[in-house]
Amino acid sequence: MSENTDTIAAIATASGKGAIGIVKISGARSLEIASLITKQTLKPRQARYTPFFNSFGAVIDQGVALYFKGPNSYTGEDVLELQSHGNHVLLDQLLDVATNAGARVARPGEFTERAFLNDKIDLAQAEAVSDLIEASTTEAASAAVRSLQGEFSAEIQVILEQLVNCRVYIESALDFAEEEIEFLKDSELTDRFTTLESSVTQLLQRSEEGVLLRDGISIVIAGLPNVGKSSLLNRLTGQDTAIVTDIAGTTRDVLKEEINIDGMPIHIVDTAGLRNSDDPIEQEGVRRAHDQINQADRILFVVEAGCEPEQSLLDELPDGIPVSFVLNKADLQSGIQQLENMLLVSAKTGEGISQLREHIKQCAGFEKTAEGALMARRRHIDALTKAQSHIRSGHRHLQDSSAGELSAEELRLAQDQLNLITGEFTSDDLLGEIFSRFCIGK
Amino acid sequence: MSDQTKYDVIVVGGGHAGTEAALASSRAGARTLLLTHNIETIGQMSCNPAIGGIGKGHLVKEIDALGGIMAKAADAAGIHIRTLNARKGPAVRATRSQADRALYRAAIRTAVENQQGLHIFQQSVDDLIVDEATNRCSGVVTESGLRFNAVSVVLTVGTFLGGKIHIGDVQQAGGRAGDAPSNALAKRLRALPFRVARLKTGTPPRIDGKTIDYSQLEAQPGDTPRPVFSYLGSEADHPEQVHCHITHTNEKTHEIINANLGKSAMYSGNIEGVGPRYCPSIEDKVVRFADKTSHQIFIEPEGLNTHEVYPNGISTSLPFSVQLDYVHSIKGFENAHITRAGYAIEYDFFDPRDLHASLETKFIDGLYFAGQINGTTGYEEAGAQGLVAGINAARAVKGLEAWSPRRNEAYIGVLIDDLITRGTLEPYRMFTSRAEYRLLLREDNADLRLTEKGRELGLVNDNRWQQFNNKVEAIERNRESIAKWFVHAASDDARKIEQAFDVHVQKDQQVLDLLRRPEIDCTGLQKIFPDRFPVNNKAALLQLETQIRYQGYIERQQEEIEKQSRYSESRIPQSFDYANVSGLSSEVQQKLSEQRPDTVGQASRIPGVTPAAVSLLLVSLKKQQLLDRRVGQIA
Repeated sequence: MSENTDTIAAIATASGKGAIGIVKISGARSLEIASLITKQTLKPRQARYTPFFNSFGAVIDQGVALYFKGPNSYTGEDVLELQSHGNHVLLDQLLDVATNAGARVARPGEFTERAFLNDKIDLAQAEAVSDLIEASTTEAASAAVRSLQGEFSAEIQVILEQLVNCRVYIESALDFAEEEIEFLKDSELTDRFTTLESSVTQLLQRSEEGVLLRDGISIVIAGLPNVGKSSLLNRLTGQDTAIVTDIAGTTRDVLKEEINIDGMPIHIVDTAGLRNSDDPIEQEGVRRAHDQINQADRILFVVEAGCEPEQSLLDELPDGIPVSFVLNKADLQSGIQQLENMLLVSAKTGEGISQLREHIKQCAGFEKTAEGALMARRRHIDALTKAQSHIRSGHRHLQDSSAGELSAEELRLAQDQLNLITGEFTSDDLLGEIFSRFCIGK
Repeated sequence: MSDQTKYDVIVVGGGHAGTEAALASSRAGARTLLLTHNIETIGQMSCNPAIGGIGKGHLVKEIDALGGIMAKAADAAGIHIRTLNARKGPAVRATRSQADRALYRAAIRTAVENQQGLHIFQQSVDDLIVDEATNRCSGVVTESGLRFNAVSVVLTVGTFLGGKIHIGDVQQAGGRAGDAPSNALAKRLRALPFRVARLKTGTPPRIDGKTIDYSQLEAQPGDTPRPVFSYLGSEADHPEQVHCHITHTNEKTHEIINANLGKSAMYSGNIEGVGPRYCPSIEDKVVRFADKTSHQIFIEPEGLNTHEVYPNGISTSLPFSVQLDYVHSIKGFENAHITRAGYAIEYDFFDPRDLHASLETKFIDGLYFAGQINGTTGYEEAGAQGLVAGINAARAVKGLEAWSPRRNEAYIGVLIDDLITRGTLEPYRMFTSRAEYRLLLREDNADLRLTEKGRELGLVNDNRWQQFNNKVEAIERNRESIAKWFVHAASDDARKIEQAFDVHVQKDQQVLDLLRRPEIDCTGLQKIFPDRFPVNNKAALLQLETQIRYQGYIERQQEEIEKQSRYSESRIPQSFDYANVSGLSSEVQQKLSEQRPDTVGQASRIPGVTPAAVSLLLVSLKKQQLLDRRVGQIA
């Protein structure tokens, strides 16, 4: 059975930073993908410590590759397991190799589902499989809906319209050649293709930059010197990352850490306290702090409890970047009123920190998901990339040989990919578009 | 002397579905009775006198590959034949033929009369014999009370169920102009648990060609050489050829129609049925596409021995007086005499989601539906269903498993799968865009796709089988021969190719790669290098060329099919309880319980059934299997 399945791939470890990250691949193409990533032929059931190569042939990590030949594997199919360092950019690149080689990103619960269907899990576990599929689909669905709000959704809609537009003309020229339809000139159609292609490319670029889709959010801790910014960083990361002293201006450089709130990666940047200083090192630190602030998705502006945030400093903050006010050193003051839009914490005692984490999570816009909302969105990028390559081939066919049916085929495949993001658009929907636009019927 | 009231299979209706069903059933070895209300109208083309077209021609070729009659009849009656999309790729090329109605009818009648094991009887059917206890259909009762018994009954009664004809505000009962409807049968069927709805279709007024001024009109000749439908046919089968003509409506025409809209049955609210979006009446066109000042009309000849023509493009339900006015406003029709008024017809159809892929109904065993009764339009769509229903009715008699082609095997498969999984809201017509495996499902390879299966089903005779094998051998021998052929740049071969095709052979390469270039074709190569092609067979050369050109796509589609087919053939027991599938949304649960798909593949194509729902269904089916096995072990 295993030679008949499509190959699925997924990052098996929680998103965000961990010591080890695992990418799992199951299906007929596993061995082929293994040879792309490790540049060697793996033997079944032997762990191999090897360099990992990305799609461009560069070594990105050193890790352990394990290959299991079906049916002697977890899913009953050929399985490849790649253990690398737990950095999601790295894991994403491994996933990229797999999807470029024809694998698709697995649906939630799909590995377990295959294991069950291939008699690898017994009846007692069947109920759990159903639950898993159900639970993870609900979460994936809600994650998909969430990420489809706003700008990304608007862009996808534009692409969908442009794609359907091209298809309407190409398909009607094929199915209704005898009708008196005002067919587009090839040059006009080429223009529409060009527009479609650039829309997809632009959205992909933006997605790949991770601004919109991949990297979680970046939070910059800013404020006057000695308000406890570094202590807050240490408290949030749970590590002794930053040097903390009572001396104002201890932090000179920019410190970056990544934390993981319910699987959602949050980049936290600690900066030098904002003040005018004669010390050239500190001056440089303040300049860098401002750089970071300008790139932030959100600013945590730390103020000592009982003090007002200094207006001149607030004026220097860039427009358009949301600010959360954090009142630190709650342990030193009593009777401080919890103000609206302000979070009262003590970096020293940990008071209020869980509320702060909750606040950050909400700002990032994600609820807890089993697989990490990032996975749902990884699927979108995967689908968009594949759609892009089909649109390009379709365009090429149109230019080279005006082969209508091959262009049409490529656009159909592109639409299949977009369907994964937007929901189904059937051939009947397409015919509906054609009939509403053209008077068909002799 | 065998009993004239007992048969294996009874087919009710002598239209395109009925005749294919009766022929297929008797070819497959079942003793078959064709019951029709009028033997003279067997094989009648009720709508326009044409067979084929884009998507439809594909169906005709598939029917032919499975031993059906439609292609042969279309060749025998073809008076104007063209290949549509000739300049586009082979996958979307299609044959279309104007047919002489009388010749077409005669060809079908001859085939039916000469088919071994097939009897004809003239009588309207009023009732079905259904055993209430077993829910099995075992025969029919005619209007005069004659009872005919059979193991399987195929209903192909077209637009005759509750048929109502509209011309302006005048309505009359009818299954086709001049024929009575089957109201008793319609009433009987409405009492069974099938879902019923109304559809509408229309025809234009017919015109006496003697009164048309052809000198003003653009003539459209057929193709030379003439395309042939049947894989066993040739140009020699064709009768004398004639031209079609083209004219257009104009602003005056549209004015007349607009001024009289209220009198159209469509717009006065008299019609409840839904008409097709792709075949609107002229009043629909004028209203919906108000900015278009002209619509095309194809003047299709009705036959060699008649002057009557079918002006395709102006079907209507306007009153006769308005039809006269707007017809006279059209160029060339100024003095036209209308021989038959245009009309709209409304009829019952049964929701095809109540059918198995075999076209047997889900509620009553032994009862099959085919053709317009299932919500389709078109002779080709009807014939295709008739063929499948006929085969399966006959197979059921012998206790054999039903057969229906898959979506990747035939347009017939796309047609039936669309109908039974998605149903239809308008008369369903085939288009190539409905087929996701369009590049595989071509007119040129319908024989390669289906002849073997047809042979296995008993539908393909020795002659067809022999010709098929010859063609396959020709393709393969040529392929083997040229597969080893390497052309070096600047060699003699390269120069000859460059000269013949006006191309440049830049580098050493295989001829197989050269053939992927659109300028180079097998037929042309064969002319220059006859020794390279062991078998000079035109169809085989074309076939080889197409296979080479589409190779990459064909491989990809094959891969897609393999992925799809993994679980899609898993059968779902009819008794399966969807309420027990944990995690299914109630909406999906309801849809599946209502429709009771036969396979997981069918379930997955029902609108609204998500991939996750399919996963849950698979897991649940597997669980049931394991449980059953365990119970078996304990017992």
